[in-house]
Amino acid sequence: MIPKTKSLVLSLVLAALLASCGHPSSSKEQDHGIANGKMESILHSRSDSPVHTIVMPHDEPVFPPGSGRDEFVTACVVCHSPRYVTMQPRFSRATWLSEVKKMKDVYGAHISDDQVLKITDYLVSINGKAGTGQGPKGTYGE
Amino acid sequence: MGATGVAALAASCSRIDSAAGTVSSSSNLIRFPEKTEMIFLTDRPPQLETPIHYFRQDLTPNEAFFVRWHLEGIPTSVDLRTFRLNVSGHVRQPLQLSVDELRSKFVPISIVAVNQCSGNSRSFFEPRVPGGQWKHGACGNAKWTGVSVKSILDRAEVKAGAVDVAFNGLDVPPLPSVADFVKALTIDHARDGEVMIAYAMNDQALPMVNGFPLRLVVPGWYGTYWVKALSDITVLPQPFSNFWTDKAYRIPNVPNGTESPKDLAKDTVPINKFNVRSIFVRPDPDEMLRPGMPTEIEGVAFDSGYGIRRVELSTDGGGTWVDARLDPEIGKYSWRRWRASWSPRNRGQYRLMARATNAVGETQSKEQWNRSGFMWNVIQQVDVKVG
Repeated sequence: MIPKTKSLVLSLVLAALLASCGHPSSSKEQDHGIANGKMESILHSRSDSPVHTIVMPHDEPVFPPGSGRDEFVTACVVCHSPRYVTMQPRFSRATWLSEVKKMKDVYGAHISDDQVLKITDYLVSINGKAGTGQGPKGTYGE
Repeated sequence: MGATGVAALAASCSRIDSAAGTVSSSSNLIRFPEKTEMIFLTDRPPQLETPIHYFRQDLTPNEAFFVRWHLEGIPTSVDLRTFRLNVSGHVRQPLQLSVDELRSKFVPISIVAVNQCSGNSRSFFEPRVPGGQWKHGACGNAKWTGVSVKSILDRAEVKAGAVDVAFNGLDVPPLPSVADFVKALTIDHARDGEVMIAYAMNDQALPMVNGFPLRLVVPGWYGTYWVKALSDITVLPQPFSNFWTDKAYRIPNVPNGTESPKDLAKDTVPINKFNVRSIFVRPDPDEMLRPGMPTEIEGVAFDSGYGIRRVELSTDGGGTWVDARLDPEIGKYSWRRWRASWSPRNRGQYRLMARATNAVGETQSKEQWNRSGFMWNVIQQVDVKVG
């Protein structure tokens, strides 16, 4: 079994590696044709190092105040950034509730029953749909 | 407070600025390592959409190819000296293969194939559904080079009675309670000679966020099966079962996966092959066309591998249709470009529509909905202005 890699390590090596990696500059121009025979050089052009490393962009989100904010930050953001909420259209309370329940019951988020309602309140307050319409039931996968 | 809240949150999320990535809040584009500026859906785990103008190239550049991960713990560093592809389970000869061994000890194959996210175009479903709010750019066409899964399984000597083959990558769940992302194919599908492990994409190593160093390629099937940073292949003597197959990525068991919001299907199956669809790549939606001047209209169409046989274009909102010209076929799993020249007579607004049909007569629908927002292939409409 290969040890599964996560970031956190190697940060000192990264700057040097990134500088040598660069972007494949020719790809934009390489249209229509299906070029052959270029693989050898390109596969080795990133760097002489057999270790290939990237640094992910890091976001410092600031959450608007609101009831349930602390629960959202604690229980949700450990697994995903708040953009998973803000990219959604405004959903009804029913839809947001089913999404939070899905995260808890199906995906395995550590959320207590009490927190389910508080988080739902928060999601409705920052991205909820006015009115009582029942949205589509939450679903799994994307 | 709703509108203000979202605005504040969105603004705060647009302040990414580091050595590795930048985002412009006005255009909502972001640049990830080894990638160009892409439409920014999410950062962690990343979901990045390809701007449509890249589809004017037959092969989507690696730096612009869409990105979609499920779990927070995505690989950011791979040491090729220690990385091994492990083949185990119901086999006589378990294997541990380095990338160099894959390249030197197996016959390389190449295939041009579209990869498309199951949820591509999800944001067009009405009523809206939760999930990645993609427009039409969660797909791309690339030349994949690597080794057939069949040749690897043959080397591993699969035992009699094998049923499924499971594929796992280097990504890890953020919590022990969250299911690891593993997908499976039937043994026959895995051994069809076309399902492959790619070590190159458009003749280059894969970008890390597209699955470096190895990615499963399942031609004609949705991207959820194209496991990134593939590290483990396990042959199973029983059907595979996990969250990502049993509960996620399922579609109503009817043609085109359609159901009604008021009557959700009870019988569902794992998502599988692409349906047929077309995507406009020209003109730009905000391009002002001129009356009497010929305008080149262009798009790409693809299906699960039967081949595109016809694309029809309407410039009057579906009243009349004419055949578009098809570019030569690149490969059965590639998309096929279509073109038409159109000279709008008068000033005003026109609705363009394109409808693709494949070799077995499958075509596009006028209406479609399912709870997960999968398999969108409604006939696309683009409104253009002539002035």
